[in-house]
Amino acid sequence: MNKDQFLQKLDTLIKVLPPDERQDILQDYKEYFLLGTEAGKTEEQIASSLGSPNQIAKDLLASYHVDQAANKATSRNIMRALWSVIGLSFLNFFIILGPVIVLFGIVFSGWLLSFVLCITPLLALINLVSELAPFQTFDLFISFILCGLGLFMIIAMVYTTRKLFSLLIRYLRFNISFIKGGVKNA
Amino acid sequence: MNIQFKKGILELCVLVLLNQKDRYGYELVQMISDQIQISEGSVYPLLRRLTKESYFTTYLKESNEGPPRKYYQLTSLGKERLEALTAEWTQFSQGVNQILKEGGNNE
Repeated sequence: MNKDQFLQKLDTLIKVLPPDERQDILQDYKEYFLLGTEAGKTEEQIASSLGSPNQIAKDLLASYHVDQAANKATSRNIMRALWSVIGLSFLNFFIILGPVIVLFGIVFSGWLLSFVLCITPLLALINLVSELAPFQTFDLFISFILCGLGLFMIIAMVYTTRKLFSLLIRYLRFNISFIKGGVKNA
Repeated sequence: MNIQFKKGILELCVLVLLNQKDRYGYELVQMISDQIQISEGSVYPLLRRLTKESYFTTYLKESNEGPPRKYYQLTSLGKERLEALTAEWTQFSQGVNQILKEGGNNE
């Protein structure tokens, strides 16, 4: 692979990045080729010592998507970030899977529980109307307490979810700097 | 050396080299690859990441020949990071050395 082929390949692979960032990245590698040639290496030698454009692009894209998710924690951004970090290496899927299952488990069950608590008065009323079980005023009373608890829990879940997602972002950053990508034959 | 290992170490190397003086990308890559076998292309993504994390800033400087080069300069945040990583590394390598030494005595 010569200089133009390398740069072109890299350029196509990082198309999703904002134009100025893309430009900046290509500029770095152009500089690298230039200085390498001045030091007497051929373009092919330089390209092969740089490693595959594929791996470089993966690395750049993973960082980019994680930054995006950190700026705006939409579910789409988070899924993208997760996906691109997993893509860094084959084994990374298994490394990331555990923490992610735990995190989504907590978030999902927390929200489900608070939602169910909130609608307990409704359930008590349904019971009153349908008479599925003998109605007791006490049930209604308890259901209001549970509903109040549920409302508090929703507030708590808003914070918990935010906190957990920022933890996930931090973990992904750590993962990027730890998982290969950086290394020969890897 | 183990591949997973090296990437974390790369960050430490970059920080140490920049602590001596400001350097440009090519120089950094060459100095590291002289000592450790790395995929040279991966240093730039690392440099970008660390710049985003404010461990260093960049500036362009004219060179005698050719276009201006992008120099990297360590920030005070970067210095803190360097100290933390150095401490971790020292502790870790001492541990390994100790084990190697004890292993050697038994043979």
